[in-house]
Amino acid sequence: MTRLALEEVTFWYPATRAPALREVSLEVAAGEIVALVGKVGAGASTLLLVAADLAPRVTGGRLAGAVRRRARSGIVLPTPWTQLSGMAFTVWDEVAFGPANLGWPGHEIARYVDHALERLEIASLAARDPVTLSGGELQRVIVAGLLAMDPDVVLLDEPTAELDPAGARSVWRLLRLLAGEGKAIVVATSELDAVPDVADRVVWLEDGAVRAIGTPQLLAEDAAGDGGVGTTVAGIWRAAGLAPPYPLTVADAVRRWP
Amino acid sequence: MSAALRLDGVGFSYGAVAALCDVSFEVAAGERVALLGRNGAGKTTLVRLVAGLLHPDAGTVWVGDWDTGERAPEQLARRVGSLFQHADQQLFARTVREDVGFGPRALGFPAHEVSRRTEEALEALALGGHATQHPYDLPPALRKLAALAGTLALEPMLLVLDEPTGGLDRVLRAQVADALREHAERGAALLVVTHDLAFAAETLDRGIVLDGGRLAYDEPLAALLTSAERLKPLGLVPPTVAALSVALDLPGRPVRERDAAHTLARVAGGGPGL
Repeated sequence: MTRLALEEVTFWYPATRAPALREVSLEVAAGEIVALVGKVGAGASTLLLVAADLAPRVTGGRLAGAVRRRARSGIVLPTPWTQLSGMAFTVWDEVAFGPANLGWPGHEIARYVDHALERLEIASLAARDPVTLSGGELQRVIVAGLLAMDPDVVLLDEPTAELDPAGARSVWRLLRLLAGEGKAIVVATSELDAVPDVADRVVWLEDGAVRAIGTPQLLAEDAAGDGGVGTTVAGIWRAAGLAPPYPLTVADAVRRWP
Repeated sequence: MSAALRLDGVGFSYGAVAALCDVSFEVAAGERVALLGRNGAGKTTLVRLVAGLLHPDAGTVWVGDWDTGERAPEQLARRVGSLFQHADQQLFARTVREDVGFGPRALGFPAHEVSRRTEEALEALALGGHATQHPYDLPPALRKLAALAGTLALEPMLLVLDEPTGGLDRVLRAQVADALREHAERGAALLVVTHDLAFAAETLDRGIVLDGGRLAYDEPLAALLTSAERLKPLGLVPPTVAALSVALDLPGRPVRERDAAHTLARVAGGGPGL
């Protein structure tokens, strides 16, 4: 079931002539994880803002084409410290802010908040003041706040940028769990080596347009050859002058190795 | 000659919460050091101590022959260039160029010197094309680079950087790596807090690991990054190149992409099936 569809979407930020997105079409189904990859400025963040109905509604600017949402969505911005409500003195209240604004009854809010804190492994932070958290802790709190609203479409912009490698791995595992529960997930990430184990599909953006859509194998084929968006292992194989197809991950490389 | 940075039995607590306990190490001029550890290990506290924003409860932090406890942050800025987490929010001038030039101007350098440092820093991070733009018209990743350019323009003896690559793509990460290596070659000591172990492997040589506010390891970075069993309890995972080296048993256990490609080519020697 399609949860989110962009049809020939072109988007201009206010007072700019060149569009940040150019005729982008993309459908995301329930239970699917789509990774957006590309260089900085390629349009991944803008695509997420459009999908979340923040652009142009909040950012201003102009949109051509159509965005169809058949479900409620939530977004995690790349700058989690700008996403705090500023109204909560504890992490628990911060995570409860979203569901409270949806007008849910108190016992429902508590159930979703506790569950979200557990899933992000931050139950021990519940009584802390959000402004005292480290970057990595804060990033998990923001993701928990999103999950507490139980959105059908989960949009994430660089959700692991602030996390240590173990924390990043647990977020990637969590996304697979959420997809298993039927959520549609779109994630922009520069952590390309994580993509093969996480994403069902990869959208490679360049200058605001879709350059290619495919399975993560894309990051070993077209993308690795073009500099910038291949996995590390594919890049090393290519740099060593070994024959394609290139392995995508360390596990692939081991299978290939005599 | 005194070390660029020396910590002597440094301790610091936030109220009742101990953040650092009895930490001692030295960093020499030109050394490139990664400061590693899980979220909450005390890395950011250490950076704040070195920048003089916090003063130790115990022990001393020396920058050259200055005791940071006796210097105001603005004095320390003559020797320590710092980049904080969320650096993209520390910009305030109307153009990227003005922002990058703010530091050297504030230190009282003459106009031609301010201009030389500004242009070199912009050039080093390939920001020339954005110099006349308003910082907040740039995407967060480029704002972060602009903040880093401002730090480099101070040309300090010690660069202390907290997560300089978060949110940067591979091309921008490589630019940051090149710029930092160049400053180290000119004698700057580097202390880089990062979770990006791939970036650390490409750019830095020595690894200092904090765990629960204490010094856990201080050794060549390559040895540390290829040791999954030692990294795991610290919340760290070997970066891809190190994992590949170990998995394929590559001689010399390279941890940098270029070295790994070179070794792979040599070992494979055009063997079949590769």
